[in-house]
Amino acid sequence: MFIDKSMTKNVVAVGPEMSIVAAREIMVKNGIRHLPVVVEDDKLVGIVTDRDIRTAMPSAVLFDAEHAAQLEQLAGVKVQDIMTSGPVTVSPTQTLEDALLMMEMHKVGAFPVVDGEGRLKGIVSVRDLMRAFVSVLGLRDPGVLIGIVVEDKLGQMKKIVDAISELGISFGSVLVARTWEEGKRAVFPYVLTNNIARVRKHLREKGFTLLDPMDWYLDQVPKK
Amino acid sequence: MKRTGLLYDERFLLHKTGEGHPEIPERLSAIMQGIEKADLLSKLIPIPVTAAKMKWIEKVHSPKYVHRFEEACMLDLGELGDPDNQICPQSYDTALLAVGGILNTIDMLMEGKLDNAFCAVRPPGHHAEMMDAYGFCFFNNVAIAARYLQLQWNIGRIGIIDFDVHHGNGTQHIFDQDADIFYYSIHEHPSFAYPGTGREFEKGSGPGLGTTLNSTVLPGQGDEEYMRKITLDLLPAFEQFKPEVILISAGFDAHAADDMSDINLSTEGFSWMMETICRMADKYADGRLISVLEGGYSLEVLPELLKNHVEILLGLKELQTESERKSHVH
Repeated sequence: MFIDKSMTKNVVAVGPEMSIVAAREIMVKNGIRHLPVVVEDDKLVGIVTDRDIRTAMPSAVLFDAEHAAQLEQLAGVKVQDIMTSGPVTVSPTQTLEDALLMMEMHKVGAFPVVDGEGRLKGIVSVRDLMRAFVSVLGLRDPGVLIGIVVEDKLGQMKKIVDAISELGISFGSVLVARTWEEGKRAVFPYVLTNNIARVRKHLREKGFTLLDPMDWYLDQVPKK
Repeated sequence: MKRTGLLYDERFLLHKTGEGHPEIPERLSAIMQGIEKADLLSKLIPIPVTAAKMKWIEKVHSPKYVHRFEEACMLDLGELGDPDNQICPQSYDTALLAVGGILNTIDMLMEGKLDNAFCAVRPPGHHAEMMDAYGFCFFNNVAIAARYLQLQWNIGRIGIIDFDVHHGNGTQHIFDQDADIFYYSIHEHPSFAYPGTGREFEKGSGPGLGTTLNSTVLPGQGDEEYMRKITLDLLPAFEQFKPEVILISAGFDAHAADDMSDINLSTEGFSWMMETICRMADKYADGRLISVLEGGYSLEVLPELLKNHVEILLGLKELQTESERKSHVH
């Protein structure tokens, strides 16, 4: 799962000398929130976000005259004045998991993707990751989620997969909630069948404990 | 009493799905038993069953898919694409008869020979997509019916109400861009139920934006939530859309006794819903209403549910006012 397979390759970039008013127009026109800033030979020097621009823009609550005057002043402000220089980047051969964990760590919504020479190759955003995870969760295939609570020990997943496979039913995905309770995990197979009654009955007969759908959660332990 | 048609044929029992499958011929036998036991059969007008013409099937399904289905039955492959879609050599012919019977129902309704009708058909239809069988469904009966009303009878606005506990992905997708066919579905929330579509933000697209509406119900909920959502979502939508004919995808698997869902609709809740739909049909569609069976798998409750369903169509059940019904259900 390398980043270059999921990143946006036709990336819109701007030069450091561009006015921020023009940069904002480019963002609006393309429906994007991050603009990598490059110099000659596509060398990345910074990134500017819609938030950076909004912070630099005059408030909409100003009186019209005052607003116009400030906008005129802003025409002289360049991207390089407000951009983040030397932003955190990723390489095309890093992975989606890297990007996901780094987004959580740095609390940013996108990373420019650069090669070994620092040239811009693409951009990977929360949106790209979401698309990839919607796909791996199997949400586009008709199916249904089942919640099973098991002991946190080796071999549990095999038993679940075997039990469901015995019925000739395929999997869209399998999620695991690790924070279920002391010594337990919750496993959520997304099974591609409408015959939920049969799957539930079979799992119960095999000794599995099924969870009430209204009690499902993935990572936040509910307040007792 | 209304002139209510009943579509049923013993050949609908010939589609066999094998062991462990809930969509079985016994469902129809249970339904017919409920109707017979209540002495309703003599009050119902029988509808002739003939195989549908390919022309109408292909208004919804691709010829390639239809051919694949026919071939799978001829070769006795046992399933069509997925173990959910169990077939036997007679499944294709049965599906054609079901659609054909529904089209005959439409003809009788539009010729003024019927006021409304219930179609006790198998296999069900609402999960079937243009090019694929899904969730026990092969031909999308209701979708083909809607196209037939449009093209053969020039009906301008058709309202579909799908109260099967599962979302009718096929029907929704087929009419996604059609502004003249309103698809409303109430079902268990897609994060907890097959097929995972029918979220409340799905509202149609292009010219059909606004003529798709989904009400989702959380596991464990029942009558109260159905009343609330139907009142808040469906009633104003149809008041605005004013359908000229109403088709129902009638699934009975939201019943508390049905183990295919986590929804706890009561027998009275089903009656309330059907009475509400009949009132809408009277108000906007000159009473023209055709109910087509989808799911519903509890052989214990199907007889009573369908007896009530047919009695309401016949107008034998006193149409109670909303306040009376509410005090009864709670």
